[in-house]
Amino acid sequence: MSEQLLQQLVNGLLIGFMYALIAIGLTLIWGVMNIVNFAHGDFLMLGMFTSFWLYTLYGLDPILSIPFCTALLFVIGVLIYRFVVSKVMSGPMLAQLVVTFGVSIFISNLAVYLWTPDFRLISKPLLSGTWVIGEVQLSIPKTVASIGSVIVSLFVFLFLKKAKTGKAILATEMDREAALLMGVNTERINSFSFGMGAALVGIAGAFLSTYYYIYPQVGGTFGLIAFCVVALGGFGSIEGAFIAGILVGLAQTLGGFFFDPAYKYAIVFMIYLITVWIRPQGLLGW
Amino acid sequence: MGRKEDKMGTKKLWVAVFAFLLVLFLSVSVYAQTKVIKIGAVYPLTGNIASTGLDCKRGAELAVDIINGKYDLNLPLAKVEGLPNLGGAKIELVFADTKGEPKNGMSETERLISEEKVVAIIGAYQSSVTKTASQATERLKVPYVCSDSSSPTLTERGFQYFFRVSPHDGIFARDQFQFLKDLEKKTGQKVSTIALLYENTEFGSNVGKEATRYAKEFGYKIVADVSYAANATDVTSEVGALIKAKPDVLMHASYITDAILFTKTFKEMNFAPKGIMTFAGYIEPAYLPAVKSDGNHIIIRSTFALDLAKGKPLVGQVNELFKKKYGLDMSENAARSFAAPFVLADAINRAKSTKSDDIVKALLTTDIPGDQMIYPWKGIKFDPKTHQNIYAQGTLVQVQDEKYVTVWPFEAAAKAVIWPFPGWKGRK
Amino acid sequence: MRNISLKQILSGVIAFVLVMIFPLVIKNTFAQHVMILFFMFGMMGVAWNIMGGYAGMFSFGQVAFFGIGAYTSSFLLITYHVNPWIGLVVGGLVAALVGAAIGYPCSNLRGHYFAIASIAFGEIVRTHFNNWKLIGAAEGLSLPMLSEGFKNFMFHSSKLPYYYIMFAFLLISLLVCYLISTSKMGYYFRAIKESHDVAKVLGINVVWYRLVAIMISAFLTAMAGTFYAQYVLYIDPESVMLLPISVQVVLISMLGGAGSVMGPVIGAVILIPISEFTRVWLGHKGTGVDMLIYGFLITLISVYQPKGVWGLFMNLGKRTK
Repeated sequence: MSEQLLQQLVNGLLIGFMYALIAIGLTLIWGVMNIVNFAHGDFLMLGMFTSFWLYTLYGLDPILSIPFCTALLFVIGVLIYRFVVSKVMSGPMLAQLVVTFGVSIFISNLAVYLWTPDFRLISKPLLSGTWVIGEVQLSIPKTVASIGSVIVSLFVFLFLKKAKTGKAILATEMDREAALLMGVNTERINSFSFGMGAALVGIAGAFLSTYYYIYPQVGGTFGLIAFCVVALGGFGSIEGAFIAGILVGLAQTLGGFFFDPAYKYAIVFMIYLITVWIRPQGLLGW
Repeated sequence: MGRKEDKMGTKKLWVAVFAFLLVLFLSVSVYAQTKVIKIGAVYPLTGNIASTGLDCKRGAELAVDIINGKYDLNLPLAKVEGLPNLGGAKIELVFADTKGEPKNGMSETERLISEEKVVAIIGAYQSSVTKTASQATERLKVPYVCSDSSSPTLTERGFQYFFRVSPHDGIFARDQFQFLKDLEKKTGQKVSTIALLYENTEFGSNVGKEATRYAKEFGYKIVADVSYAANATDVTSEVGALIKAKPDVLMHASYITDAILFTKTFKEMNFAPKGIMTFAGYIEPAYLPAVKSDGNHIIIRSTFALDLAKGKPLVGQVNELFKKKYGLDMSENAARSFAAPFVLADAINRAKSTKSDDIVKALLTTDIPGDQMIYPWKGIKFDPKTHQNIYAQGTLVQVQDEKYVTVWPFEAAAKAVIWPFPGWKGRK
Repeated sequence: MRNISLKQILSGVIAFVLVMIFPLVIKNTFAQHVMILFFMFGMMGVAWNIMGGYAGMFSFGQVAFFGIGAYTSSFLLITYHVNPWIGLVVGGLVAALVGAAIGYPCSNLRGHYFAIASIAFGEIVRTHFNNWKLIGAAEGLSLPMLSEGFKNFMFHSSKLPYYYIMFAFLLISLLVCYLISTSKMGYYFRAIKESHDVAKVLGINVVWYRLVAIMISAFLTAMAGTFYAQYVLYIDPESVMLLPISVQVVLISMLGGAGSVMGPVIGAVILIPISEFTRVWLGHKGTGVDMLIYGFLITLISVYQPKGVWGLFMNLGKRTK
């Protein structure tokens, strides 16, 4: 029984790291612009498809496709910000909530139109198989994705704290008006942050494509969980999103194992609700 | 002054365009009214399960091609063009997209009947959609022939106008237990504990229910009963629960996405019971290309396999036609949807009429012999009360060398079943 | 909306008459079905509006109330042979209670947090119903085909009774919304939407009025759920508890103009036919083009007319921040 427990713990961590990586991009966008990007799951899907097509057409391994995913998703993010999102920034909150829904429906169905609804899988990624350590089986692709998640999160964290643009982003997150007064070009920052948020989840997509199936609606469940993760961690907080991601992964796996796998997502949502009732701004939010 | 003229100009243009379109539209609809018998086909052509819906569409369309054309095949009405008793009238399939939603099953069926004037309905793959679609046909008194939905409840409603050709999950579940008993008799290998795993919509949970019932009947013990959401992001807790239960055999009802995910997770976590016996998802055309050799040695319930061609050349011939038309081999879904148009065409032809009650009367006397169909059945004949095809039964196929091979019933088997499950090590 | 102009009354009467004679003139059952859906979603939009557009609680979990309504009345009908009309009221009450029970701890949540909490709520309810054997779990509930009639709330030979009943429901919800918007309660709701703190200072019991808004909204949405069950005769968690239904309700209200009585109706009149007809014309090819158009339109409307079509009509002008 205890080996199973350890196994489930490990699995919970592995999926938690993936959730964390997906959530970081979302929390960045949310924190800087106060926009809930409902199309986030679809950016994930685009990242996955980018890896898939590079693999199928050019034989490029998903891990090596990361730079392409990053660049492509960054551009897509910026374009969507420029042409769609920026126009609702001064509108009513409802419009902001809804516009990314529209984008989400559009992107996922564009994918259906271009690539059909069929399921794809990357059959032979470079890193595949399982490490067996004692009684615990570690899926190699998931482990690599987790390590990747930690590296990327660390990078983002440092970027925000040390780089000039990063600091400007943090400043805009904390107090938009003050940042404006301090000479920060908040429009540019918005644009950049949206692009960066998309790029981050694009990287997650590249990692995810090494072990999950790819299809136009894949963004659905992951996106929904990402929202819970971000709100749980506190919107805008990178550390919060990271920790919350891991917590959600653990809750899902352990809750499913001990209680009933059919309820595992309900458990995640329950935890979100309870946390938010007690502490409305999330764990580490302000 | 210029603007007003512009406005008039544009207005004239719009009128012209509109008139042209109107004429086009009318001419098309008039053209469509030449001697055809329309049959409505409701399937999930967009949405999450669209790839399956499109698969079903292919099967149904091929059937109609064969009925309408002249083919030297031992299938009903294949050797003549169209329906001879109705002056060679051809069948036209009118497709509607349900998006996988029951309410659309109802509204599309109604629309096909009242607007498109179809004389019968086929479809809808998902049992929950078939339920509402057939309620609409029952209300509107139009025949419905279903050959691709497997929920047992569909033929337990006492409906007059609904007929089902293919086996239902009760039959499939019973098959799997019968196989275990036959296996014991033949090889002496005994199995005592079963774990049930199923996706949590109507399809999966019905399988769970039927399997539980037959387990009791056949004397097996259920040691785990795990249900899950089909598009889960991760299934390690589910597999953990299965490992904990240590079953001899796993029975899994899934769609395609969860079949893929579970296969990978079984391998990852090294879950290797003596047998992995499955329903539906593992026989979808996208499954083997996705998992490749990881699918080997998994057993799936089926009504169709390409290797049936060995004992029945008709299967090979039909598959050739399918391949010529679509560039792929015929899948189990396409094969199931292939049946309904034949059953309807045969009934309409014998009834010599397209009136609902005449068709239903003819359907009740349907008796298509097994050698005129591509399935391993004695034939097609409907029970007078439930309207279930009494000869419908499943087979079991096993994936060997990344191909589906019929392994049960043993008399019809192309190859011997590989049992117990050899485990995951050493697969490429 | 105190001063209703003669023009508005006249257009209202004309619209009413047109709606009433529509199904007698247009016998096309699909068109009638689209109208019924329009009424149903319009009603849900109005119900949403009460708690969202007016009281500022943007709920993306309305489908839970819809499902609770549908399941309550159906379960009572099937198991205890309770008349569906009674089931309708019971369903509404159950939904209202559940709404209040969830709404209470969420009293401090606003904006995005509330929205996500409502999604979480909807999903939890759906998961639970999917596994609850008592009410059929994933198999759903099939309503028995009773003899037709108003008493049984079931009609087989024609859609007309369904049409008029749903229209009546829509009118009821519009009336409720109108009464609220012109009453003190409406004023309280709007104050709460603007700012909890200001409302408190004005002596408004924020928590209580939020709950009231939720309960009214839930009751009306549940009524729509019961209607759906009686109309389609089969419900399962996949069809009456899915998130996309909640989203559609929000989109309708937003498109038409949240915070105005007729807004959701206008939104429904535009979005429902679009989604139904694009599916019929384009959906059967399986290429997703219909949803592409739908998504594109929603994006367009959010960007260019976020106050909704009603905003256009009322000429409220653009809010500048």
